[in-house]
Amino acid sequence: MFVMLALAAILLVRHLYMISVLPDELQQGQIFRIIFFHVPAAIAAMCGSAVALVASVLFLITRKFKYDALAVAVTEVGLAFLAVNLVTGSIWARVIWGVWWAWDARLTSALVCWILYAGYLILRQALEEPTQRATFAAVYSIFAFTDVPIVIFSIRWWRTLHPQPVFFTKSGSFPADWTFTLVLNLLAMSLLYAVLTMIRLRQEHTMREIDFLRREAHAV
Amino acid sequence: MHLHALVPVLAFLQAESDPIRAEIGRLQRNFQGLIWGFVAAWVILLLYTLMLMLRERKIRREMERLKSMLQEGGKQ
Repeated sequence: MFVMLALAAILLVRHLYMISVLPDELQQGQIFRIIFFHVPAAIAAMCGSAVALVASVLFLITRKFKYDALAVAVTEVGLAFLAVNLVTGSIWARVIWGVWWAWDARLTSALVCWILYAGYLILRQALEEPTQRATFAAVYSIFAFTDVPIVIFSIRWWRTLHPQPVFFTKSGSFPADWTFTLVLNLLAMSLLYAVLTMIRLRQEHTMREIDFLRREAHAV
Repeated sequence: MHLHALVPVLAFLQAESDPIRAEIGRLQRNFQGLIWGFVAAWVILLLYTLMLMLRERKIRREMERLKSMLQEGGKQ
């Protein structure tokens, strides 16, 4: 918990630094700085969904509940990060495009991704029996992951209102010091993601213990 | 000098100030958008953390309740 608070403080300080020190983008002005939250949140969430996919496959192969716990932990935290991505993107769109939302391929696929993973958590709530719940959830998680490549490559496959990537590409024009800031923020967000996942994972293990104790109590 | 002679001058000044005002408005909206974006992102993460903390408390309480229930059952 203290690590998480320290990370949050570092992030906040970096935001203040970004707002005050970095120069404005030529066409978009100050709002462009939102990229330092918008993109790392998306990357962290997408990596989380990849981890959920691997954990779900491993659960189906090994039937070990630790993989199911990992899948649910990363999915839930990823949902919060994807919400950050969607909300910051919407605010950015309002300022630059003049609308809160546009039904273009990137935005729509990202929203579908959020709904799919929210469905994953709802499915888990609906099933009581642990093995059945984990199996169904693992299969559903694999199905939900099919949307992730669509989110990532939608801006290449279709003509979208959402801009093309501006960093880590040959055609991009992101300055080096901005890239450094972005990478640092990505690192901070990833660490925050990891810490939240660990907390959620611990909770999942405790909930499993509670399930076990409940059954024991019923037997007594 | 008649006042109507100032009309073109005033019209010129108004025409000049409108883009400036529009630019100031755009910059303000831009900055407000940035602040709202950061606030929204932090609020979402804080709400999620709060949700985790509340769940943690609930789980601990449930664990203690079950353990004490089992201990009492064991004694009997």
